[in-house]
Amino acid sequence: MGGLQKKKYESGAATNYITRNKARKKLQLSLADFRRLCILKGIYPHEPKHKKKVNKGSTAPRTFYLLKDIRFLLHEPIVGKFREYKVFVRKLRKAYGKAEWTDVQRIRDNKPGYKLDHIVKERYPTFIDALRDIDDALSMCFLFSTFARTGKCHVQTIQLCRRLSVEWMNYIITSRALRKVFLSIKGIYYQAEVLGQPVTWLVPYQFSHDHPTDVDYRVMATFTEFYTTLLGFVNFRLYQSLNLAYPPKLDVKAEVELKGKHEEDYAMDSESYLEKLAALSSSLARMVSTVEEEEAELDHFPAEGEDAETLEGREKQQKEQDAQKKLFEGLKFFLNREVPRESLAFVLRCFGAQVSWDKYLCMGSTYDVTDQSITHQIVDRPNADQQYINRYYIQPQWVFDSVNAKLLLPVADYFPGVTLPPHLSPFVEEKDGDYVPPEKLKLMALQRGERPEREEEEEEEEDDEEEEEEDDEEDGEEEEEMDDEELNDEKNLKEMEKQKSQGKALLVKVTPGKAKPENKMRTEQEEKAEEKRLAIMMMKKKEKYLYDKIMFGKKRKVREANKLAAKRKAHEDASKADKKKKKAKKQ
Amino acid sequence: MAAARRNKRVAASQPGFLNLNPNVDQSDSTLRRRKRINKNKKKNWNKHSDIQDVEEFLDDVRLQERATGGLVSEKSDDSLFFVDTGEPSKNIQKGETQKKGRGSRPLRIDLILQHDSLVPAPKDILSYQQPNAKKLRRISQKAEELAAKGVLPRKQRLLLRRKAAAGSKAAEHTSANKHPERPFYDLWSEPGKVTADPWYLEQTKKKLVKRPAKLNEKPSALPAVEVIAPGGSYNPEFFSHQALLLQAHEVEVKKQKEEQKVERQLAVSQEDTATEETVFQEQVEGLLEEEEGEEGPVQEDLEFTPDTSATPSTTQGKKTERQRKREKAEKEKEQQRRTEQALTSRKQQLFQLRSIRSELKKREQRTKLRQAQRLARKEAQKTQPRRLGRLRFQAPDLEVQLSDEIPGSLRTLKAKGSILKDRFKSLQKRNLIEPRERAKFKRKHKLKYVEKRAFKAIT
Repeated sequence: MGGLQKKKYESGAATNYITRNKARKKLQLSLADFRRLCILKGIYPHEPKHKKKVNKGSTAPRTFYLLKDIRFLLHEPIVGKFREYKVFVRKLRKAYGKAEWTDVQRIRDNKPGYKLDHIVKERYPTFIDALRDIDDALSMCFLFSTFARTGKCHVQTIQLCRRLSVEWMNYIITSRALRKVFLSIKGIYYQAEVLGQPVTWLVPYQFSHDHPTDVDYRVMATFTEFYTTLLGFVNFRLYQSLNLAYPPKLDVKAEVELKGKHEEDYAMDSESYLEKLAALSSSLARMVSTVEEEEAELDHFPAEGEDAETLEGREKQQKEQDAQKKLFEGLKFFLNREVPRESLAFVLRCFGAQVSWDKYLCMGSTYDVTDQSITHQIVDRPNADQQYINRYYIQPQWVFDSVNAKLLLPVADYFPGVTLPPHLSPFVEEKDGDYVPPEKLKLMALQRGERPEREEEEEEEEDDEEEEEEDDEEDGEEEEEMDDEELNDEKNLKEMEKQKSQGKALLVKVTPGKAKPENKMRTEQEEKAEEKRLAIMMMKKKEKYLYDKIMFGKKRKVREANKLAAKRKAHEDASKADKKKKKAKKQ
Repeated sequence: MAAARRNKRVAASQPGFLNLNPNVDQSDSTLRRRKRINKNKKKNWNKHSDIQDVEEFLDDVRLQERATGGLVSEKSDDSLFFVDTGEPSKNIQKGETQKKGRGSRPLRIDLILQHDSLVPAPKDILSYQQPNAKKLRRISQKAEELAAKGVLPRKQRLLLRRKAAAGSKAAEHTSANKHPERPFYDLWSEPGKVTADPWYLEQTKKKLVKRPAKLNEKPSALPAVEVIAPGGSYNPEFFSHQALLLQAHEVEVKKQKEEQKVERQLAVSQEDTATEETVFQEQVEGLLEEEEGEEGPVQEDLEFTPDTSATPSTTQGKKTERQRKREKAEKEKEQQRRTEQALTSRKQQLFQLRSIRSELKKREQRTKLRQAQRLARKEAQKTQPRRLGRLRFQAPDLEVQLSDEIPGSLRTLKAKGSILKDRFKSLQKRNLIEPRERAKFKRKHKLKYVEKRAFKAIT
């Protein structure tokens, strides 16, 4: 056997990876700086497939990076800035130590800074890329903007986050892009559709912070640093796309209206503008003032077959969306001071409502409680002191539920003091056969335009059962129908024969023919069912097996769902009985 | 100077030249005997050439110039002489002087200090002459020309550039990355065409290195914001809430089981605790003589073992010819038997076709199943947190409201969990950062406790 013996760990996986410490040394950075750089550049550790090989025979758990990634990092201009910063800190400390205050001032003035613009561009080469990855940035910005300015992170970061999140909310309001809201125990989840991309973000409730100790604030701050830059550029582009002025400016009309008497009492001059923007109660100024945006109508193209169907579906969706966008249009809301102002104002404004609140609660209130044109007042206390007749007093959940249901729900369920119906998650999408809670069924019925008086629950259940036996039934039904018609004909014939046999002159006369009412829907359905049956027959054995399995699974799901529904009914009956008993006892 | 001197000398040699100093002896130098000197050295020229006559002459010239304002010989007769016609206007002059009196007479010191030479003082050349005047004139002309064309001189250009650079630096300085007023612009707008040489840009590090495409892949398939289960609603539907509770319950049970397991493993068993008996035995240990009957058989064992190992070595001698032959024959026989067996079995397989087929089918099915399983596992792995460091990812506790904690309204809701922690864990779960412990604070030097004097005095 000729040739040199191959040395171990000189090729393959061992050379593709590099440990964190080695990478750090290669870049000549401290661990903190290295970590920061990796986060900013979007370079994450890897778990190699063969750890032992990569680790040169050792099984110690280590953090590995791809060598190519680290090589890529070597070209980053920010690395130089990090080193500069290190030197800056050293100089400053020295000047401090020597008590040379003029030097301290000079060094401070020349503090090296860096920008992340090029990194944003590099990581997200197109705007849509950035938009797809905006969820994280939004959640982080909203989170940081609620932090107290206590030194957990830089005040400037908090301010910037606040500014960016306000800009984002204003954009969503102006573009009417909000789709779903979910009040969870953690915080409020929002989902909007921005330029066709679904964007989900999480906003904490106000004043709900305890600072957990097991979170690395430095890492989070680094992420936020990058995300703020990203969100800033995205906001700018979005504002441009709507022809809005950036940085956002209030409408001239709104500005005059909001000019309060005692503005200085609320905020300093420098802050009051942001506060007004953050109030979300007025619209933004446009670059080119346009009279009401024209509704973009879909172009109609003649299409055939499936395309036509999909097109129709799309059109229908579009119509629904447009209707949802104008959900609260023309309504005038007033928020009491015990309800979460920001989230409610945001959601209401997103669907075209007018909102106001007590002027002592926050800046930017546009009208008073006494305004007679208010249609809804949102209240979260059982006892209201003064009530106006011409408006509804409702609990805040009504707003969120209405948004999720895409229609104005009956207000009766949401009066103050009433036990609220459950707040369902709009993010759950049930497939057919899953258990659907009865509240949701009711909702769906409402959406279809049915009256709530009818008992939807039972119907739905029946529907489910019907679905189960659909295949079998359809065949049977067809036959029955056929039989009926034949029977009728036969009867006629028999009568005629009878008359013939009796020897009488036949009562032959020509009657005007009756057009048989052809049930189009029915025939279509029959055809479809027939096609399906034939398709099943034509299946290969293998496919048939699979098909059967799937159908079996579906049926099982339906069975389970039915079981759950029955359970629920039993539970409700029991609880009702309990209540009745209690009532009886009380009386 | 030399030229002027020569001129004067020439003038003196003229026949019409008058000497102002009459007692200058001209013939004196010619009478003396000339010394012999080398004239090839400048030093000697200076030392030995007699220039007194020239000096004297020049002194005379200077005197003439001082006194009369030029060489007397060159003056016109009118300026040298006048016709004496008595004193006609003396009376008038006297009257004037009397009128003026003493006060008008200049002081003597002023007279002394007065410039009495007729030779005008030499002009201060530097006061009116500009060095390099011509050059400067040319330069200024050129500058004017350029200014007319609109071209700035280099100096100014540099200055402007510096100013611009300083301005941009200041701007950058004020708008650090997290500055709340920092401006944003359209990052994704079409960049202007770069006309510079790409090689130059690359070498001067003006062009950024292209990002590898693989870096844009996300390390996990999980969404950035995972929406909580429907049971996590602030006012949940009964069954979804129960489902979430069940989930939380299962997690808790698992945790408890693990804890119990550790506890069980660490528990001190009954056998290990000291009873009175064992305590007594320990105390007596070594005091009583022990019987040594047990050691016998052990030794015997030791003796037996070498025997057993020795027996094969005795049989490993050289094989005889016969033995070899026999072994060979046996081997051949065995081989033949095997081939025959294989042949018959193959023949038999013809009748087992059905079972073979079923077996094949079974095997195929098994591989298919395994493939599917592997694929499923791979898919599941995509959403799993990987092991990226010393520590494993620890899933955060499920946020859950107990049934009696469900609030009647939004006002009374108490938020559960921390979103900050949720975000942090999400980052870990998506493999963006490795899970790690908080670094422990390590004191470099030990704390030293010193009793202060003041306190000491009091106590």
